[in-house]
Amino acid sequence: MPARPLADSTPDIASADFADLVRRYQSMVFSIAQHFLTDTPSAEELAQDVFLQLHATLSTLKSEEHVKFWLRKVTAHRCIDYYRRRKLPQVSLDEAPEPMSPAQSSDPLVARRLQQFVASLPEKPRLIVILRYQEDMLPEDIAAVLAMPVATVKSHLQRSLALLRDKVIRTMGEVTI
Amino acid sequence: MSTLTRKLVPLILLLAFPAILRAQELKLPPGVEQLASKAKETVEVNMDGPMLHWASKFLSAEDPEERKAAKLVANLKGIYVRSYEFSDQGAYSAADVEEVRAQFRSPEWSRVVGVRSERDGDNVDVFFKLENEKMAGIVIISAEAKELTFVNIVGPLEVDQLADLGGEFGIPKLKTKPQSSKPMAKADKGEQK
Amino acid sequence: MTEINKNPNLLEDALRNALRREDAPEGFALKVLARAQHQNSAAQEAQRASWLSIFSQPLLRWAAVAAVTICLVVGGIYYRNLQRQRAQGEAAKQQLMLALRIAGSKLQLAKEKVNEINTSRPEPQPQNRSPRSRS
Repeated sequence: MPARPLADSTPDIASADFADLVRRYQSMVFSIAQHFLTDTPSAEELAQDVFLQLHATLSTLKSEEHVKFWLRKVTAHRCIDYYRRRKLPQVSLDEAPEPMSPAQSSDPLVARRLQQFVASLPEKPRLIVILRYQEDMLPEDIAAVLAMPVATVKSHLQRSLALLRDKVIRTMGEVTI
Repeated sequence: MSTLTRKLVPLILLLAFPAILRAQELKLPPGVEQLASKAKETVEVNMDGPMLHWASKFLSAEDPEERKAAKLVANLKGIYVRSYEFSDQGAYSAADVEEVRAQFRSPEWSRVVGVRSERDGDNVDVFFKLENEKMAGIVIISAEAKELTFVNIVGPLEVDQLADLGGEFGIPKLKTKPQSSKPMAKADKGEQK
Repeated sequence: MTEINKNPNLLEDALRNALRREDAPEGFALKVLARAQHQNSAAQEAQRASWLSIFSQPLLRWAAVAAVTICLVVGGIYYRNLQRQRAQGEAAKQQLMLALRIAGSKLQLAKEKVNEINTSRPEPQPQNRSPRSRS
């Protein structure tokens, strides 16, 4: 579908667009918040706030791609703000809650543990890992969303993968997949 | 030259020396400086004392990583990094790297780690500078197959601060103490001093 | 079967699986639309009330416009300078953090290499006793 400037929409179409955008991107926004906060009620509240903010600024967004970029950026920054405001402790491996949907990998335990390990990363590396592996974003795109240098993103990714690998080996032995 | 002048000149030079001496202790040969044009990615950081102090004002007290970084850099006099990443192996000269290493074979520097690996070509050296039994600086030279990195941190760096640096950035805490007489770890025959 | 520590792609695949998108809770979209509608109505009501009170007095209206314009101009200049300084400071901070991370990662590499050597070296064999010491 070609990009359509949303600013050109009439009020009625804008409303229809907004509802359509919510349905299309609710999973993306909620999942970023859920994987970051590991708390479903908080993630839902945060995701709702993101869409309300989208509703207020919809007329300034120029295209579908712009909306997607905007949603990822605002969700990421709100996750960090929420985390700092509430001074949420980093989730330990034993305390992380179960994910909402059942894991579909051949080994659900691995998936669940990996979510807990990701949730135990510091906030910025955690976001970077989520954007990389949930949204399949390139480091350059992640850098644009988080307003960070690309080298910093790559450095965080490299360190986080090493940490995660180490945690997997230490807690689960030599994992076979 | 009068007796007074002869006595004053060395004093003047001695007083001026700290001003003319650059904080950075690591001098890169021209062959290394030119690598930027060959590298696919170059990172260059040159931050002296005032710049460090200014940049550290923007570190957030709410971010645990930045909070520890602020504490670490509080007394530092400089941080200098050159890192080159190449597409292919063999992009830099071992002789140039050795020229840099040779700068730290002096009594004030101790090589606490010197690893040579013929298996994957990774060579890493870590030098500590001691003044009055306290850390006064560190130099890291990492020569990998497709990456060459020089790090020079200048300043009264406590060993436990170095450990915090390691712990904060996801690195297990170092327990090594600088001992110049301790045999260096070597993966293979590799380089001889 | 392949071990995750030897094949980095497996870890990345596992992460993609573990972090795949999940469905939003039931009724999420309806809740958002309802709140957006409520937000619209409340905003319109508040705006109507405030504008009505100010613009009922012409002199006060023009004074308010002039004051706001001056504030915007002065504030804009100040804000722009502040933003520029802040952007420069943030950039310097990012450079600093990058340098510290690079230093940290190379120290980690050194430690890993030392650990590799220590684990790959064979255990020292006990020395054989001299034949003279045997009875």
